[in-house]
Amino acid sequence: MSELKETLKAQIIEQLNLENLTVADIKDDQPLFGDELGLDSIDALEFIVLLEQNYGLKISNPSEGKDIFHSVNTLAAFIEKNKN
Amino acid sequence: MQIFITGYGVISSIGLNSVENFQSLKEMKTGIDNTSDPIFGNYKVGRINYSNEELSSKFNLKTFGSRTAILGMIAAKEAFEGHVLNSDIRTGLISGTSVGGMDLTEKVFAELIENGVVSNAFNHHASGMSSLEIAKELGLENTFINTISTACSSAANAIMQGARLIQNNVLDRVIVGGTDSLTQFTFSGFRSLMIFDEEWCKPFDANRNGLNLGEGAGYIVLESEKSLEISKKEPIAKLTGWNSSSDAYHQTASSPEGYGAVLSMEGALKMAKLAPNQIDYINAHGTSTPNNDLSESVAFKKVFIDNVPVFSSTKSYTGHTLAASGGIEAVFAINSILNGVVYPNLNFTTEIIETKLTPQLKFEEGHEIQNVLSNSFGFGGNNSTIIISSLK
Amino acid sequence: MFYIHSISSISHQLSFQSDGFSEKLFVLDDTSSLEVPDFKDILPPTALRRLSPILKISLTTALECRNKKEFDAIVVGTALGCLQDTEKFLNTIRTSTSETLSPTAFIQSTHNTIGGQISLFLKNHAYNMTHTQNALSFEIALIDAITLLKEGNNNVLVGAADEKIELLEKLRNSIIRSKYPLTSLATFFNLKNDQIENGIVIKDVTVNLNSTIQLGDFIDSFLEKNGIQFNEILKVYHSDCEFINGENTMNYLPYTGLNYSASALATHMAYDELSHNGKGLILIVNNICNNDFGLTLIEKC
Repeated sequence: MSELKETLKAQIIEQLNLENLTVADIKDDQPLFGDELGLDSIDALEFIVLLEQNYGLKISNPSEGKDIFHSVNTLAAFIEKNKN
Repeated sequence: MQIFITGYGVISSIGLNSVENFQSLKEMKTGIDNTSDPIFGNYKVGRINYSNEELSSKFNLKTFGSRTAILGMIAAKEAFEGHVLNSDIRTGLISGTSVGGMDLTEKVFAELIENGVVSNAFNHHASGMSSLEIAKELGLENTFINTISTACSSAANAIMQGARLIQNNVLDRVIVGGTDSLTQFTFSGFRSLMIFDEEWCKPFDANRNGLNLGEGAGYIVLESEKSLEISKKEPIAKLTGWNSSSDAYHQTASSPEGYGAVLSMEGALKMAKLAPNQIDYINAHGTSTPNNDLSESVAFKKVFIDNVPVFSSTKSYTGHTLAASGGIEAVFAINSILNGVVYPNLNFTTEIIETKLTPQLKFEEGHEIQNVLSNSFGFGGNNSTIIISSLK
Repeated sequence: MFYIHSISSISHQLSFQSDGFSEKLFVLDDTSSLEVPDFKDILPPTALRRLSPILKISLTTALECRNKKEFDAIVVGTALGCLQDTEKFLNTIRTSTSETLSPTAFIQSTHNTIGGQISLFLKNHAYNMTHTQNALSFEIALIDAITLLKEGNNNVLVGAADEKIELLEKLRNSIIRSKYPLTSLATFFNLKNDQIENGIVIKDVTVNLNSTIQLGDFIDSFLEKNGIQFNEILKVYHSDCEFINGENTMNYLPYTGLNYSASALATHMAYDELSHNGKGLILIVNNICNNDFGLTLIEKC
């Protein structure tokens, strides 16, 4: 699980072009959206792309993503639950 | 100074000219459907089912261009039919487009990247080229020709700019509107935004799920009084109000309170010196995305309070034709005034909970339509409203 | 008379925050590159990670022209718009096999992203327009800006931007025929009715498209309309017009490079030259696209 989280962080940094951040800067339970990281609804769409391209997971309605993309923890839990 | 309308032309998935378009509106016949084109997969689009070559030959076009330019030439020629070029009437063209010659570019792009093959099609890529080609087809030389590219509000903004240039004595007469063809670029783009409904779009419905794309073009001819004296054209209607404002909220989304939409509608009403209750019909932007229709509905309630006029989104017929929509819908507005009709909003069943507004559901004759308000809202929060009024 | 209150450019010249740059112009070649400031000091993190170069240079130069009041209008000219993101999304479509596509490049590929980003950053709710008419996009934006000032607005931001992408090099000698290097640039300025003593004004601007008349005749009638004799002009800047030559003329393309918004940067050069050299008129002649003419007259009062 922790390995998945580290991988996810690196993928998030790449997909969203968060150049000034490193994996260590993103905490597992830190809210991804809102003021701290400054992510918005366009980034939410990028998360959907990330999940499909890297994990084969489909989210067809962007509003479903809200809870899934809350933090690295929730993302990892979603991936774990839905893999295979 | 009054701005008179003396011509109109339209092509869309519901008809190749304004008569056909009006007939489809009357018969409640949508132009949106599945296609056999693999680009669109299972998605429904409002496509004009003729190839570029078929359209060029059917309409006897002399000028080669992208599909965007071809659609523009057809609608602009219909609008300008019966008008005569005259060196005493400074006549210009302002056309809105968002894709320009992308329909040609995307066909030759892979060959350039993969094999370094340069196609002449790239000569038509720039949006400005489509307007030059339309102007050439109309015989416009030595004049003001311009392209506006503000996404889905482009044509409305072109109409607005044309009127302003007449008022400021740059032009006497101007053909204004917009054109956009369906391309893989815009199709994939809107798909990436996840705002397509796989079924027929349901503007202003509580269960709306997104938009259907369309293609087409719509133009109107604006003239000054001085121009009318020389052209001897009988005006059909007047352009009485316009406004463009910015939502300044988000790159793609509209603000929940419809801030920019309120500004543009109020600005246009103020300019036309009309009270909200003098609007007889609203042709809404109504894309059928959850975000737009709620934001626009909220804005209606702010501007019109409890007396929201009869309104509908004709995008349920044509699909969202992007930069062309303001031009196509301006033609529909003119026909609403001329024929005393209001158009239905197809596929609506349930009111949006927050605003409880029901659009017009039937094609209805016998209305006395003095003033039509038409909204066009673009990406980046570009909100534009025009008001077209009867001559009476 | 429309007064330029502040002006800013980012280009391959040392034009940014560099008063007097017009005296230090150098001839560009294919190795020259965009002279950019450190955007980290200027733009917020979301803009830094998401915006393409044309958006960064446009937003940065636009912000330089800010004053205390909200702009009454933001008017942008761009011939080819956001090419980098357009190319990026075309490549996404070309190579992608998955159902979902990254949307950011598409969102930022539309021409009005430039004006949209400026209004978003400034929370500016006013008129926001994007004109795209090949090499005359800037002149047409300027005509719109002047029209707005005549209509009673007073605080207009106007400018133009176009960007070079490497892909364009593949179109050289076929679609793009020019001996000048391709460049990126953005120029924005704040245009007002408010007078400035000894200020620099846009005296007039005009365009003629799908031309069948001669450029020389068009220039003559423009000067006549403005009551000016040719010999009253301090200098003519031109885009490599064969018939314009002699002491007080300058072909600006060796300094701007080939860019459809080059006349916007030439306007900044003229502003800079006039602000250091007494009074006078500079005429900018733009016929980068052979049959489309643009003329801009700049004067120091």
